[in-house]
Amino acid sequence: MSERTLRNQSRDPLAVEYSAALAGLSVVPIATFFAAFVVGGLTLAGQRSLGSTILGIEIETVLTALLFVAGGCLLAISVGSRYGVIETTPDRSAGLGVASGFGFVAFSGIGLAMSQTFGLGRLVWAPLALIGGLTVAGAIVFAREDLGVTVPAGLFSVAIGSLVLFDGLTPAWAWSPAGFGVTFNGTVLIPLLTIVAGLVTAWAAANAFEGFGAAGRQAGAFFLIGANATLILLVLLLLIAFIVKNGFWYAVDGIEIGPGLNFHWPFVMDGYDVVLNQKGIYPAIIGTFWLVVGALVMAVPIGVGAAVFLTEYAEEGRFTSVIDIATNGLWSTPSVVFGLFGYAFLVPRLGNNTSLLAGMIVLGFMLLPLVLITSREAIKSVPDEYRDASAALGVSKWETIKDVTIPSAMPGIVTGIIIGIGRIAGETAPILIVTADNPQRSSAPAIMGSFELTTSPPFIVNEALLSGSSALPYQLYGAITTGVVGDDPGYGWATAFVLLLVVLSFYVIGITTRIYFRKKLQA
Amino acid sequence: MSNSLRTSDSSDIENPTAGDGRSPVLVAGGATLAGALLSFLFVPGVTVFFVLAFLGVAVYGWFVHQEATAKGLMFLATISTALVLVLITAYLFLRSFPAFEQMGLEILYTNGDYWSRGDDRYSLYPAIWGTVLTTILATLVAAPLGVASAIFISEIAPSWAHEIVKPAVETLAGIPSIVYGFIGFTIINGYMMDNFGLTSSGSIVVVGVVVGLMALPTVASVAEDAISSVPDHMKDGAVAIGATEWQTIKSVTLPASFSGISAAVLLGVGRAVGETMAATVILGNVMQLPEPLYNVFGNTVTLTSLIASQYGNAHGLHMQALFAAGVILFLTVMALSITAQLIEARVKQNLGGEL
Repeated sequence: MSERTLRNQSRDPLAVEYSAALAGLSVVPIATFFAAFVVGGLTLAGQRSLGSTILGIEIETVLTALLFVAGGCLLAISVGSRYGVIETTPDRSAGLGVASGFGFVAFSGIGLAMSQTFGLGRLVWAPLALIGGLTVAGAIVFAREDLGVTVPAGLFSVAIGSLVLFDGLTPAWAWSPAGFGVTFNGTVLIPLLTIVAGLVTAWAAANAFEGFGAAGRQAGAFFLIGANATLILLVLLLLIAFIVKNGFWYAVDGIEIGPGLNFHWPFVMDGYDVVLNQKGIYPAIIGTFWLVVGALVMAVPIGVGAAVFLTEYAEEGRFTSVIDIATNGLWSTPSVVFGLFGYAFLVPRLGNNTSLLAGMIVLGFMLLPLVLITSREAIKSVPDEYRDASAALGVSKWETIKDVTIPSAMPGIVTGIIIGIGRIAGETAPILIVTADNPQRSSAPAIMGSFELTTSPPFIVNEALLSGSSALPYQLYGAITTGVVGDDPGYGWATAFVLLLVVLSFYVIGITTRIYFRKKLQA
Repeated sequence: MSNSLRTSDSSDIENPTAGDGRSPVLVAGGATLAGALLSFLFVPGVTVFFVLAFLGVAVYGWFVHQEATAKGLMFLATISTALVLVLITAYLFLRSFPAFEQMGLEILYTNGDYWSRGDDRYSLYPAIWGTVLTTILATLVAAPLGVASAIFISEIAPSWAHEIVKPAVETLAGIPSIVYGFIGFTIINGYMMDNFGLTSSGSIVVVGVVVGLMALPTVASVAEDAISSVPDHMKDGAVAIGATEWQTIKSVTLPASFSGISAAVLLGVGRAVGETMAATVILGNVMQLPEPLYNVFGNTVTLTSLIASQYGNAHGLHMQALFAAGVILFLTVMALSITAQLIEARVKQNLGGEL
């Protein structure tokens, strides 16, 4: 059922048309919220100072103006709605949730002002703040919904605006709560409070936009939930953009192409060598490559095999539930615990030193539950018709599994494996404990060239597999702990950039294949 | 094909009688693999012989009795997942036992003088408290935001927004913890010192928020599964009596998926407890309690960052104390994971029964 039909149902069918005044007044606070978010965000991030200007107006003034405009619009709506100038359909009360929210704000505001600004004792401020908070909450509960939503939100915004306007809160203002060793500065609080007030007024405005009532509450809630989703997107984009901005140019510095097939990318193709003045991460890239290959060799056959057994052969019962608990337990076991396990179990048995092989096995153990869970889901989602059709043709169960079930489940299995690779390629803690030895290596482990046959067991030895190595995430950790980042921050950012590029490309490939196959399945 | 008339299900039943030649192969395979494991545990030098023997048996079985061999191998694969967990438990407990024995209950709580290599005294109290504080903060971030994004993804988002937000949340889970740690170390720590007047690099509140951001995708994806598994007919009832979408979500969908959502939050808490690198890099890892205890702007250590920052120069009882930290982490996370699974199993039973 579409959103629109729902909305119309919930309203009084005779009063569907709301005035343009309401729409106009309630859009303004939403717009000012976005403005406050952008301007305040830039100020918080240190890109602009409160004293600098935008379009010739000081930022402090801009933020104050936004607070007054948003609060004023809400108060106008409340007056208009109360006296019937603006037609709305409010419920009898805004409800306990809204009341306790604003009550808590009033309690904290009064309490902080009394105890910190006026220095009153606990016995004085606590009862006063409690009375203030309860009064606000009670007033909201007993007021009609339109007033209960807009008046406190508008007053909150105007109150903060007045604090800034009348110099109750200036950029130079500072507050150090006793015993915490922290100082809250006006430079941080002004933009922060503006954004918070902006969010509250925008929520109230979204509520008013739909004329309050059930539809209004839905608009308010959807606004908050949508804002949260946007915030998460924004955090992700900013994280990636920040790392690309800081690391990209360092990483691609000095690339030579030609003549002919000659191609040299110093940061990616050189080791770390102080004598040769090379600062590259080639050994770490190769280390991560081999770790991933080793983990795949370990985990994929075991994980897929177990998934097939559990879905196709095992009866649902105690056995499968024990395996379920074990798998999910392995999935949630902290990576550092895997590292400790490898240190106690593998390192003493594999030459008593940190080694690439130990890292492969530990990462394989970490990858195992991921592969198992996703493969099991994939095999389960193969329709039973496929199996029945194959069985009806007289094909044995194993042949069916081999030729029908597993190939049909392949997209799901492969997607799970790809995303699993993305996860283990970025794992640091186990590598740190079982594989790492020297964070700034000049040469990469030569796995392929190190295989040797011997006459005594274990007959095949590989020196490179049994010695330590670096890996991309460890390279970054090593750069932080050995102080390389302090001297040359670009090196750390570039390493983070390459690591992120490697890990996220696995995620992007994995997610894209999944969407592709799902679309294909639906078509 | 010799068994062309068999249906897929009856082949299972016929196995015992038809498979006279197969059982020796299975027994030999199992025995050689058990030998390989045991020898790896006690005499690693001879493991290779057992492995070769196992490979020989497996290859022989594959060509002679393919189905039985495949089934046997897959069974072994299934067992080995549980075995890995058993091995982890065994080795953590074995290695940490002396520390528990020496310190007794003081390893969990003691007054003053927590950590001294000179006196061989190792109490994990500050690290446990640090983990508790960071986990509470992280949960305060991850639980509301994660559940809100789960509601957005499964109930509210139009399809274009769904196609953007769901992969984005997954990608957020993919950013390696060391990258978060690096940003926290280079940018946020300095920012907090400049703008909040902190005197030392690293504070609990920064770790809490960063770890909360990292636990958010776990909460979001598990809660989304729970919310979208609420059957449509339950929601349709609410819609039929004229409820808005939000009223339906608030009074039908969320209460019905409440257990699933709490399982999601528990799993998120588990992620936050076990998060290592971000805490290690951001915190100062000083073995002290914040002053006062609830001072989230103070500097301390967590169980995970204790292990990661000290394992390198630890020996004897010191190392065993680190293993004890691992045991506490492992038990906490396992308890959370098992509780979450029990809740999910019950949800499946309750909601599945009505379908």
